[in-house]
Amino acid sequence: MIAEPFVVLKDVAKRWNGQLGVEDISLDIDEGSFVALLGPSGCGKSTSLRLLAGLELPDEGSIWIQGRDVTTSAASDRNLSMVFQSYALFPHLSVAENVIFGLKVRRVPRTERAAKLANALQITGLEGLENRKPAELSGGQRQRVALARAIVAGQKLCLMDEPLSNLDAKLRNSVRKDIKKLQRDLGITVVYVTHDQTEAMSMADKVVLMKDGRIQQVGSPDDLYNRPANTFVAEFVGAPPMALIESHIVDGVQPGLTLGLRAEKISIVPSGEGRLSCRVSEAEFLGSETLIGLEHEGAVGLTVMRPGLSMLPVGEHIDITFNDQDLHMFNEAGERITGH
Amino acid sequence: MKRLSHYIESAAAILLALIWISPLLFAFWAAFHTTSDAVNFNIMSAWTLDNFRTAWDGAPWLRYFMNTFLLVTIVLIGQFFFTTLAGFVFAKLEFPGKNLVFILVLMQLFILPEVLIVENYAMVSRLGLFDTLFGVGMPYMASAFGIFLMRQSFKSVPIELHEAARIEGCGLLGILWRVYVPLAKPTYLAYALVSVSTHWNNFLWPLIVTNSPETRPLTVGLSIFGAPENGVDISIISAATIMSVAPLLIAFLVFQRQFVQAFLRAGIK
Repeated sequence: MIAEPFVVLKDVAKRWNGQLGVEDISLDIDEGSFVALLGPSGCGKSTSLRLLAGLELPDEGSIWIQGRDVTTSAASDRNLSMVFQSYALFPHLSVAENVIFGLKVRRVPRTERAAKLANALQITGLEGLENRKPAELSGGQRQRVALARAIVAGQKLCLMDEPLSNLDAKLRNSVRKDIKKLQRDLGITVVYVTHDQTEAMSMADKVVLMKDGRIQQVGSPDDLYNRPANTFVAEFVGAPPMALIESHIVDGVQPGLTLGLRAEKISIVPSGEGRLSCRVSEAEFLGSETLIGLEHEGAVGLTVMRPGLSMLPVGEHIDITFNDQDLHMFNEAGERITGH
Repeated sequence: MKRLSHYIESAAAILLALIWISPLLFAFWAAFHTTSDAVNFNIMSAWTLDNFRTAWDGAPWLRYFMNTFLLVTIVLIGQFFFTTLAGFVFAKLEFPGKNLVFILVLMQLFILPEVLIVENYAMVSRLGLFDTLFGVGMPYMASAFGIFLMRQSFKSVPIELHEAARIEGCGLLGILWRVYVPLAKPTYLAYALVSVSTHWNNFLWPLIVTNSPETRPLTVGLSIFGAPENGVDISIISAATIMSVAPLLIAFLVFQRQFVQAFLRAGIK
């Protein structure tokens, strides 16, 4: 018996007066998994999430949650919760009232409400702040109130729309871990929208990379990093991103292709022994390593990683080499050539 | 030069304020003195409360106060109800012809209420509400100003709050009641102040549409009390006037700061 996926989007499209919204979105999400919708701004990831939430209705296609067709259902009938980028806390209500807002609307009895509130506050570490108003909380605390509101009702599906983008970098790291732990402990299914690939790669079981309203690749973080489906994925994922090289400048490779190469697969060799001779265009020290940006005609994004502090003067010419099996090959349309 | 113009401005402001408040000061002066002392501005003359006694006995003031109080309450409740619903629709819902309808509503602002008195009179009579407090208040309930104010206030509520409430299971009216109305509290307060003071002072329309002491509000009662047929006694009329405006005046003095803040917060000045 094959279990029905928890959430299914089938050929979903949404268009805004001719402008591109999203097109051909088909996606299966397993129960208990963490799925990240990743992409540059304007790629349609938030629109996809809003379609799933029921805040927008699709022009085409269908959406299924827990085996039920919810394509035209109201947001409130979809049994899901949502964390907004701005947190969307009600400024006139206290922390406790914000968290139990949905329970009150759904007429959950008072005693049950109190128990669920206590539980949600305990999980998110908000005890003692029950009577504060959102304006009296720090950014991180507000974020936790939004999380508490999302988990208090015990919905199995939780949607998150860039929940970390209003936090400072340090807090972001710790909250990232908290959210991941929360998701695992509660066994909920999370669909998480982000433009930050670090978030997507570190948290998600499955990453959906989007561009211009279309899905570019669906796969595990490993798939996206090591087997990018096209040049867009190759250039988007990873820091530094994959270098793209026109194949005619490399000996021993069939011309007319685009080659992809990760920085960590490139090594510097004494001059005269390398496969490409490049000019150093920049050097960036990151602490544990130094990134050396290289220039070569017909190649973009060539970077070499060197351990520790290892700056090279800009303008110097160096030779680099790499193995053929580390090359990713893309055809003229930018699609990955498989079998390699 | 700059300093001089500053002084001139201040002096002009003070002068204007004095002119503005002088009738009230005179009424206050006259109300506490006998008529002859009052018109002679005899500073040393004795103060008296007799005028108030005479005035109070001269008309059913308690009834009038009650009527005015009921009237402003009815109008305010009606206005809150209609302006909330209409303001919400214009702020957050889409329907064909919305802008046209909104312009029609706003056009009401260009029409002086006095122009509509005859039409309103006919309407209220047709509805059988002539000489009732509800009839007095009804034409003001769907206030264009109020609808506009509520629309502006609701428009400033972030859409995420609306969406969050939707996801949490609220229906449209639930969202209105649980999210928009509480957030628009300052606007409601400011609007209530404007509405109460307007309708407390409204005279012409209640004069026309009321006919008996049972429905007459203060303003109409006062004018009948002070009508020349009843003999003009400036001190007694002043006493009656001070009585009529006292509740509003005292409320304003006590809540001055809140009044101003409410207006600032509601974004109208």
